[in-house]
Order: sequence, then structure tokens, then C-alpha cells
Amino acid sequence: MASRVPFASTGSRQLPNSSAAFSVAALLLALLVVISGCIREEDITLEQRAHQLSGELMCPVCDAQTIDGSSAQIAIDMRMKVRELLNEGNTNAEVKDYFVFRYGEDILAAPEGSGFNLLAWIVPVVIVFGGIGIALVTIRNMRRSRVQLQPVTERQQADLSGYLAQVDRDMGVSGEAVASEIKAIQDQADEAKS
Amino acid sequence: MADLGVMALLLGLALSAYSAVGAVVGEKMRMAELVVSARRALYMTTLTVTIASGALITAFVRNDFSIKYVADHSNTLMDRAFVWVAFYAGNEGSLLYILLTLSIISTLAVWFAPKRLARSMPWTIAILAVIQLFYFGVLTFVASPFELLDSVPVDGRGINPLLTHPGMFSHPPLLMGGLIAITIPFAFVSGALIAGNYGDDWIDVARVSAILAWGVLGTGMLLGAWWAYTILGWGGYWAWDPIENVALMPWLVLTAFIHSIMVQKRRGMFRMWNVALLNIAFVLAQLGMFINRGGPVVSVHSFAASTLGIIFLTFMLASLVFAFALFLWRMPQLKSDRVMESFMSREASFLVNNFLFLAVMAVTLWGVLFPLFSDFARDVSVSVSAPYFDRANGPILLGIVVMMGIGPLLPWRKASARSMKQWFIWPTAVGVLTIVVLVALGMQRPVAIFAFGVVAFVAASISEEWWRGTAARHRTGDNWPMAWWRLVNGNRPRHGGYIVHLSILMLGLGIIGTNFYQQRTDGALELGESLVLDNYRIEYVGNGDSSRPDRIAQWAEMSVYRIDPDDYSTEIEFARSQGSSGFTLEESQPRPNDELISQIQPWHGFYPDFNMASVRSGIRSTIVEDLYVIPRDFLSDGRVSLAVSINPLAWWLWASGPFFILGTMVALWPQAAVERRPTRRKIPDDPEGDI
Repeated sequence: MASRVPFASTGSRQLPNSSAAFSVAALLLALLVVISGCIREEDITLEQRAHQLSGELMCPVCDAQTIDGSSAQIAIDMRMKVRELLNEGNTNAEVKDYFVFRYGEDILAAPEGSGFNLLAWIVPVVIVFGGIGIALVTIRNMRRSRVQLQPVTERQQADLSGYLAQVDRDMGVSGEAVASEIKAIQDQADEAKS
Repeated sequence: MADLGVMALLLGLALSAYSAVGAVVGEKMRMAELVVSARRALYMTTLTVTIASGALITAFVRNDFSIKYVADHSNTLMDRAFVWVAFYAGNEGSLLYILLTLSIISTLAVWFAPKRLARSMPWTIAILAVIQLFYFGVLTFVASPFELLDSVPVDGRGINPLLTHPGMFSHPPLLMGGLIAITIPFAFVSGALIAGNYGDDWIDVARVSAILAWGVLGTGMLLGAWWAYTILGWGGYWAWDPIENVALMPWLVLTAFIHSIMVQKRRGMFRMWNVALLNIAFVLAQLGMFINRGGPVVSVHSFAASTLGIIFLTFMLASLVFAFALFLWRMPQLKSDRVMESFMSREASFLVNNFLFLAVMAVTLWGVLFPLFSDFARDVSVSVSAPYFDRANGPILLGIVVMMGIGPLLPWRKASARSMKQWFIWPTAVGVLTIVVLVALGMQRPVAIFAFGVVAFVAASISEEWWRGTAARHRTGDNWPMAWWRLVNGNRPRHGGYIVHLSILMLGLGIIGTNFYQQRTDGALELGESLVLDNYRIEYVGNGDSSRPDRIAQWAEMSVYRIDPDDYSTEIEFARSQGSSGFTLEESQPRPNDELISQIQPWHGFYPDFNMASVRSGIRSTIVEDLYVIPRDFLSDGRVSLAVSINPLAWWLWASGPFFILGTMVALWPQAAVERRPTRRKIPDDPEGDI
């Protein structure tokens, strides 16, 4: 939809690799750094922290529910214990350790720690980067193996102009813009011929 | 009634077996009449399942407690309207419901299948018949809903109280229907592959049936979330529970499919990939059926311990083997017509989006299976629940939303630097500006701010497309709404897709708001007392009793006031020093200029027979935020114990639903009636055009 010239099959790369693109990217990056510097420290109450922690502890007697969402008596007691431990000045990790010591590892709603449990976290990273890697390699291979496409002939160009004019009207792009785009293609086609 | 049902199921068993064998033999022996009779036998199974379902419903209506299933899932107190819910409330009935859906949609699909698929229809019929045969077999031999009790009880056990909610009329049937409907595109494509019909004849029918299944499944999940939010009373709407996950996974794969099928339609590429996606979606749907029926994973939704697990596991493995054997066999014939030309093209962006969808699916599957894996590998139980999925899937989902803004702006084949600049400047500016403004307003949580920026970027890219297209048509003389309508009408799959994208953005707003900015507090109130959270004051003004023989139930009448925090600065400061988010006030303490904005009636019930509590939250909803009050319990000393939260942007979660359905329907609406512009056909090298 975006490109008004879908026939630019000349084989040359047309990636936006101008220095302008890089400076825009650099500007955006700088902006993000500045922005992240401006962001306020979070202030959350102990109660909010207690709720967050409760969402990370499973209710031992319920099926697949955290104590935050359960109304079972043990969940109520555990929520109170979380609050109490935080009031005493314990860190989140200490509170979790307290429950892991008493109920076992499966009291945590997400596996934590080292060794085997790291697998739970590494595999997603491998999946994402592996997946994107496969996608990019696939696209690259498909591009490499492509047949050399013919440059646009005069006749095709003639057929093309009607189409472009139509698209042009649909999209409200100015005639000059399209004309210059077509010229660019022709230039490239000439280059490819020579 | 029980006899009628059993007979109907037996007849259906025979018919589907005949249909499967007849279609294959007829095709192999070139006996056209046999194929025709196999097709009609498939139509007739619908009749038998309808009779069986009618028999079960009649038994419910007549309170025929001699049938075990009826006695287990209803009683004389049950509102008759809930017969429909009771029908699929248990294991056996839900299987019958699934078979009913499958047989109806199979008949419709075979009936309306396009003529050019004639060569592969016998195989499609055979696949549908085999799957129906499986369900008929299970319903006849293993899990009959018509099993009789030795002694007829006076009254039934009653329906599961959690199911007595209007949402239950549609959420489970849509979810189960969506899962089973994946069978249809799978049967069409597999049939075409077996018959050696490698062309793209199946694209339209697979696309339409896949979008239907996808839309139904998506609507079902959304309704489930809505039901959880309004009734389950844990304050959330999505728990990454195994049963939710097994519905989400095939949905994600179907989402990838309905994007990449457009690449095949327009560019003749990704054939292999599309077939693989449908196969994966189908196998995941079978995994869903398996985990639903006594699978090895604990869930809040699971049907009571069922021996069906092993049967469904076998069926899932069989479909896995079948799907991938077929795929490997026919893979060499599934080459692309064209090649990828650039990273900066719509087809490349679709491929990346596909991998991201599959990544969320794979991570979710890994999370679901990890506890089993841990158990097996080192004999240590671990839990994998919401915090894991939020952290592992959250970034990928955000990446998908980013792609949602990029992909549609890229043209097919290849983008030029100029057009990229032209199209991306405005959305990027809007996204960055949003982030800057939010930071300037003093918002917290950097991740959420970035996510809001992404949502704004995508919203701007959709509006840019609509703006330019509409403006162009407006210049040719249409008024604005008409111009927009013509634009959408001119390419429904595309613009329907944009409407769905908008609904996903709305969903995104709700997810970001509720996940990052929720405020909560707990408290117990006596009559006349108030609980204050942020700028709300909730006063407990009265209560009532709505107990019935089968339940103990009470509701509270609460007045919601908007307050000025400055009026309460001492209390707020004191609460903060105690580490609390909210605080309670006695009857005499409220300030006079509090403004009454709403009345809510949170409700709490307990069902002794089921040992189950059920609540209705009191919700005061605006487009900015929901005040959400869960009555945890009515205490014996007369107080009511409450969990109160403010859920920012929660309204948008539910507002997205109508747009999701609307967009799906626009994308599905047959294109035939649209005038085709002749210029498009004249282009010699590019028959698919770039509309």
C-alpha cells in the first residue's frame, strides 16, 4: 500500500540506509535515554507490595490459583503473613524464602533460582531469538536465490502508467511525486541494462 | 429418553464409520455413487447428534433424574433457562455438545464447499467422518451422557453455581466450538493434499473457515475473561491457567495463519508454511481437548478426574502423526511461486509476525509443560503461573503490537526509502510524543509508558492509512463517512483486519492499565463505615439476604462517593505511614463535600453442597477506571470484609469485544458484491495488484 511503485524490480537494494535515517535513530535513542532519566522513582505502599507478592505465591489447597485471588482460609492467613513479614522489614526475597522453606518450591508461582529452574527462563529467550533468527535467515535465503528479474520494459511502463494514475487518484498522492518515482525506476532500469 | 439418546448415538457411530470408509473406498475404486452416499451419511450424522442432544435436553427439562448426568448437573430448583448451560456443564454433555457443533459445521462446510474442490472432497469428508467417529465412539463406549442410575434420586445435585451466570450461555460453547471448528480448515487442506490438489484452490475456503474458528475462539476467550472479571471475584480476568493457555495457543497459531494465508493469496508464497500452521493449530486444539479431559496439568477449570485423558492423549498423538506425515509426504509439491524480495516488504513483516506468534505459543506451551518436565527430570514440583507468563510473554506480545504498526505500512514486495520515510514519520512522531507527554505528566512505570507509546504508534499508523485513503476518496466527491466506508468496502480483508487491530489496541490499553497501575486495599466495614482508596469513598449503607435452600447468600448496599484527597490529608498521611493504600472511616468522619456518584450491590454466596463460594463484584465503571469491590465474606460480627481495587482502563478490555467481532465480520464478508476496478486486471505482471 505504501509504495506507489511496486515494479521496482531492478535488483539493487533500496533500504533506507541514508545518514538521515541513522541520525533520526540516534536522536530517538538519545530522547529515550533522557526520558528514562526523567521518570520518577516508583512510590508504592507496603500494601501494594504485599499484593504483588501475594500474586507470586500459590495457594497450597486451591487448583492453580495464587493466594492473591483465592478466598480459601489458608490463602487469607498467608496474605496476612506476607503483610506481617513486610512490616517487619523483610525484603521480597526473604518473604519468598520464608514460604519456600515451609511449603516447598512449588509455592512460588514462577520458578526461581538457579540450576534446573533457569531452563524455564532460558528456553523462551532461545525460542524468541531462534525464531527471529530463522525468519531473517529464511528471508535472506529467499532473496539470494531469486531469479534476476527483468527490468521494466517500455511496453510495461506504458501499461503501468494507467495503473499508477489510478492508485495515484485513490491515494491522493500528487502527480509530480509519482512521476519522479517512475523516473527513479527508469534510471535504475537503465543502470541495470548498462 | 435415555434409550432414544443411546440409539441415536449408535446410529451416528455407524453412519460416520460408513461415511469414512465409503468416501475412501469410493474414491479409490472410482465409485462416484459410494462417495455421494458417504457425503449424505455425513449429513445424516448431524440428525442423529441433534436427536441425542434433544433427548438430553428433554431429560433436563423433565427433571429425569434416572439419568446420571441429569441428576449430577441439575435439580428442581434450577432456573429452566440454565438447562442449556447444564447441557454442557459436565464431561459427557460437553463432549456431546462438541460433537453436535462438529457435525453441524461439517455438514455446512461440505455442503457449501466450492465445486473446484470436488477432487479432494472425498478425503475431506473422510477426515471429518473419522473425527466424528472418534467422538461417537467416546460418547457410546466411554463417557455416555445417558448412563442410568440404579436408584432414582428425589432431586438432582444441582448445577455448578459458578456456571449460573449469563456469560456461561456463550463462553463455554464458543470456546469449545472454536476449538473444534479448527477441524474444518484442517480437513479441507489435508483433503487437498491427499488428493494431490496442490493449487491454491483451498485458500479461500481455508481462510474463511479458519477466520470463523479464530473469531469464535477469540470471542469465547474474551467472554471468559469478562466472566472471570465480573463473577469469579479474584479481581483479574486472565490467569494464564492451563485451560486458558490451551485455548490461547491454537488461537495464536490461527492468528499467524490468517495473516500468512494472505501472502499465499496475493503472492503465491508460504504454501508449506501455511499448511504447517494449520497442522499445528489442529494438533494444539487436540492438546486442548486432552488437557481439558483429565490431562496431567492442574487447572481451575478441569472437569472432575476423568479417565478420558489417555484416550484423548492417544487421539492427539494420532493427529500429530497424521498431520506431519502428510505434510512431509507432500512437502516437495508445496513450493512458492515467487521469492522474497526485501526485508522491507509486507511479506517479510508477515513472516516475522508469524514467528512472534509462534514464539508466544511455544513459550506458553513450555510454561504449561515445565512443571511436568521438572517433576520428571528431578522429582521436584514447581508451579508455573501468571507471573511467569507475564514476564516471558509480555515482551513478545509488545513486539507483536510493534509489528502491527509496521507491517501494514510496508508494501508487498519491496519498500523504497522514500515511501518508508513518508509513511513512518507521522506514526513515529505520535508514538514518541505520547511517551514524552506521559513522562512530563509524571507517570510512573517506564515499561508501561513505552507500551503506551507503542499503542499510540500503531493507532497513528492505522489512522494514517484511513486518513489518506478516505481523503483521496473524499476529493473524488464522496462525503467523509461515505468515503471511509467505500475505502473499507474496497478491501474488506484488509480493513476488517485494521478494525481487529484497533480492538487489540483497546485490549492492550486495558492490559497495560490494569497490570501496571492497579491500586488495591482490603478492609472490613461495619454498617455506616467507609473505606477510602485514592479518591473514592465506599460507604456500607445496608445489606440483604438472598439465600435459597441450596445457598447462603447476602448482598451489601454500598454508596460510592468521589472525594477530594485534600479533605482527608491527615488520614491519608497516617495510612501511608502504616504502609496502607487505603483506610477506613467511622460513620461520623466523612467530609460534607463528598459527592455521591454511584450505588453498588456486591453479592456473596456460598453453596454448601458444592463447598463453593460465588461472588458478584460491585463495579463502577468509567472509560478511565473501574472501581471494583469484591465482597470476600460477611463476617459473623456483622462486618463485611472487602477487597477494593481501582483498575485503570479496564473498560477498554470489554469495549474491544464488539470491535473484534465487527472487524472479523467485515474481513469475512464475501467480496463478490464489490465492484472491481478494471484497471487492476490490466496490469500484466502483477495480477494480484496492490490494493
